[in-house]
Amino acid sequence: MGLPNHPLTDIIPLSETELEEWEEAYSAVEAYFQALRLRNRLLVAELVRRILQRAADRHQAQPDIPPRVLAMEETLSEIAQWTQQVLDEPLENRRMAARGRLALLLAGIPGKWQSVFLTPAPWPAEFEAAMRTSYLAAGPRFAQLTMLPKPLEFNAVGSGAAQWLETLDRKPTLKRMFFALLIALIVLSVWYVFLKK
Amino acid sequence: MDPLDSKSHHSVPHFFSKTRAQIRRAVFFGCVLIVNLCASLWLLDIFWLQGIHLGHYSVLLIFIILNGLLTLGSFHAIFGAYDIMRGKKKTVRISELADGKTGPLEKRYTVVMPVYNEDSVKVCARIEAIYRSIEATGCLESFDFFILSDTRDLDLWVQEETSWTNLCRRLGGFGRIYYRRRVKNENRKAGNIGDFVRTWGGEYESMLVLDADSLMDGGDIVKMARIMESYPRLGILQTPPKLIRGVSVFTRLQQFAMRLYGPLFIRGLNFWQLNGGSYWGHNAMIRVKPFSEYCELPALPGKEPFGGTILSHDFVEAALMVTQGWEVWLAWDIEGTYEEAPPTLIDHLKRDRRWCQGNLQHLWLIFAKKLPLTVRMHLFMGIMAYLGSPLWFLFLLQGTFLAWDREHSGLSQLPFENFASRWFHINGAEQSLILSAAVLGLLFLPKIMALALTLFNRDTRKSFGGGFSLIIGATIETFISILLAPCMMAAHSLMVLSIILGRAVGWGNQARETDGTAWVDAMAFHAIPTLIGAVWTYVAFQISPTFVAWMSPILLGLLLNIPVSVLTSRARYGRALQKKKILSTPEELNPPWVLTLADQATAAVDPALDASQESRRGLVAAVVDPYVNGVHVSLLENVDITPAEEQLAERCLVEGPSALTKNELAELLYVAPAMLMMHRAVWLRPAGGMHSIWTHAVESYRRRLNHPATAESA
Repeated sequence: MGLPNHPLTDIIPLSETELEEWEEAYSAVEAYFQALRLRNRLLVAELVRRILQRAADRHQAQPDIPPRVLAMEETLSEIAQWTQQVLDEPLENRRMAARGRLALLLAGIPGKWQSVFLTPAPWPAEFEAAMRTSYLAAGPRFAQLTMLPKPLEFNAVGSGAAQWLETLDRKPTLKRMFFALLIALIVLSVWYVFLKK
Repeated sequence: MDPLDSKSHHSVPHFFSKTRAQIRRAVFFGCVLIVNLCASLWLLDIFWLQGIHLGHYSVLLIFIILNGLLTLGSFHAIFGAYDIMRGKKKTVRISELADGKTGPLEKRYTVVMPVYNEDSVKVCARIEAIYRSIEATGCLESFDFFILSDTRDLDLWVQEETSWTNLCRRLGGFGRIYYRRRVKNENRKAGNIGDFVRTWGGEYESMLVLDADSLMDGGDIVKMARIMESYPRLGILQTPPKLIRGVSVFTRLQQFAMRLYGPLFIRGLNFWQLNGGSYWGHNAMIRVKPFSEYCELPALPGKEPFGGTILSHDFVEAALMVTQGWEVWLAWDIEGTYEEAPPTLIDHLKRDRRWCQGNLQHLWLIFAKKLPLTVRMHLFMGIMAYLGSPLWFLFLLQGTFLAWDREHSGLSQLPFENFASRWFHINGAEQSLILSAAVLGLLFLPKIMALALTLFNRDTRKSFGGGFSLIIGATIETFISILLAPCMMAAHSLMVLSIILGRAVGWGNQARETDGTAWVDAMAFHAIPTLIGAVWTYVAFQISPTFVAWMSPILLGLLLNIPVSVLTSRARYGRALQKKKILSTPEELNPPWVLTLADQATAAVDPALDASQESRRGLVAAVVDPYVNGVHVSLLENVDITPAEEQLAERCLVEGPSALTKNELAELLYVAPAMLMMHRAVWLRPAGGMHSIWTHAVESYRRRLNHPATAESA
């Protein structure tokens, strides 16, 4: 891993602003790999260094684009391209990138396959098979049935009550009058039964 | 039989003959009728002795209804005890159809769990336990599992997706355990199940319908499937779920009472309902084809609360099945069937508010044509479970008035004999006492019989922790239930009143756990019943101290409503009782395997795919986390993003999720390109270009290395 023969004297001095920008880029890329649950610090550090190197190369040609944007574009594109190679299917749009990330999860990148992540082919057959069979489905194939409500058949009392209630719902004044009459009847009955001497 | 031919079942002979069923029903309801008639005539006789008042007729009318209900309940226990004492061989048991049957199942089955704003980890733990339990029977190949989400909370929606994905990863359950969320939760739970049946139901012979808090043993589920295969007339097979995991005093009281007294009632119910049983909404297996043909619920006439959408769908679905000639049985001897109960009195009453409205809607069905007697009885009992309370309230009010009237009239007893004094040579006061004792006897008889049957059976007694624990538990339960009964009466009466006044109920999720009710909340919730109790006590003292003594159980219950509600909600008191094995149930003392499996289930939790971290919970995780975003987007339909949605996404990035309404956020969560665009943006943009919630979420991944002490759980 890495380039151990790079002498420290090759380091170019950066301004304070540049250091801050690249620190932000570093943090974002490192955070993204950690979000992918890569646990090994050496692996993460190496991947971050490689990505930042590419971003730095692009930055020379595109100095107006902030290093963080360049670094994260490199990260996402690297992951998408690599996933596409493993899946052996085109990632036509961004949605397929989500499909790729899902495959990483389901195939076990956070678990036993972190060492394979972003490495060139050939990959272990078991890993490739796991990646290619990773998908989600909310249900099996449709097996539709029809459910249609059948109206309730009421007897004479029920039908009358239903008609009366619907009339009351349509005519709020009548409804208020009806309930006022009902309450008056109840009060009158209570008086007659219990209080009348 | 062709599983999709729902008519051919008519050629299959009945499991239990129609004539014998009718004889059983005639005997059962005849006994109830005779006892109620005797008690009511005797009360009329006593009133006559006292000098009958017009108000007495009103009291008598209510007494006939209330005593009828009480007698009905008691006779369930009496016939249940009779059935138990006859022994398992002589009793009617639908599950005998599965006796001795082994080998693979012939048809396909599914376990469906509708969820609504639940803790997804717990839901998945239950699915995991059921899955493993069925796997142990060797019949897993015949089953699929569906988590049918109607969840409206956006964070919980994302968490459901991650929990389900983790569950499938761990169990190898992809292609067997499915997760589906409805965009619109029309018609609540019935609509949720209906949507499943319409979409995937044709694949399955039967579905096991669970609640979010349900748990069932795999062996028993397979047994239910075998019963369905053996008896094509069977439309619904209901099991009697036991309450489990009660922590608060209130829940422990409920689960102890249901476990101790429940079997008597269940056996009594089975004695007469037989093939005309009911469906309780969960822990039941339903034959899918007839369900799809007959159980789409019609709207009731008028608007809610009495009309409109049917809330308590289960009773009606069973009624529609039975009406169409399908049989609905209660598999009373299926042991491995469990559910949880609301933790506090207030939660219990909130749930009752929904059930009350739903059951009162069934008044319409009383007037429906072609319903068999058993169906009408189930509907009637369901309605009276709530209408009984205001009737009881009115009965006591009228009794108070009559006592006041008599006290202030200065009248003495009339100088002649009534029928009872002539026949039994007892005076009016003694008759009143005997009749009251008889009514109280009917009230407590089920408890006494259940306790006696349990104490006399060595194995059952030991399963409850021994005779001493049983007696202490039953005493505490009886005492507190006496205090709780007036609270329930008042609360149910107020519910019925609010429904009559036209207040419809919403659809709340059920509280599953709690640390207890705060005193302030209890005071606010129980203020009216307590006030009624205070006024009533004052009036009772104005009548006479003897009357106060008669009314004391009611008055105490109302006056102590608030402290009883608070103290029974406390989990710490519940745990203290648990340590002493008081109010313990066999499932608590010796947990069944499936409960242990559910307690140990962890498949839904994996730090690699987690939407529950404090700094990136739910919706935030769905945007920021590469895996959560991947899972969420993969489950969405493929749609294009509109300019309006792009603007919405931009607002969400810049102003944060709190700047958007819930509907706007939900809209974003449904648009895959928006979710992908936001995921890319939060990682690419410099900190100043977006809301701090996204920056913090991104930074939270680095804390693992910078601050090991706050590392994510490994």
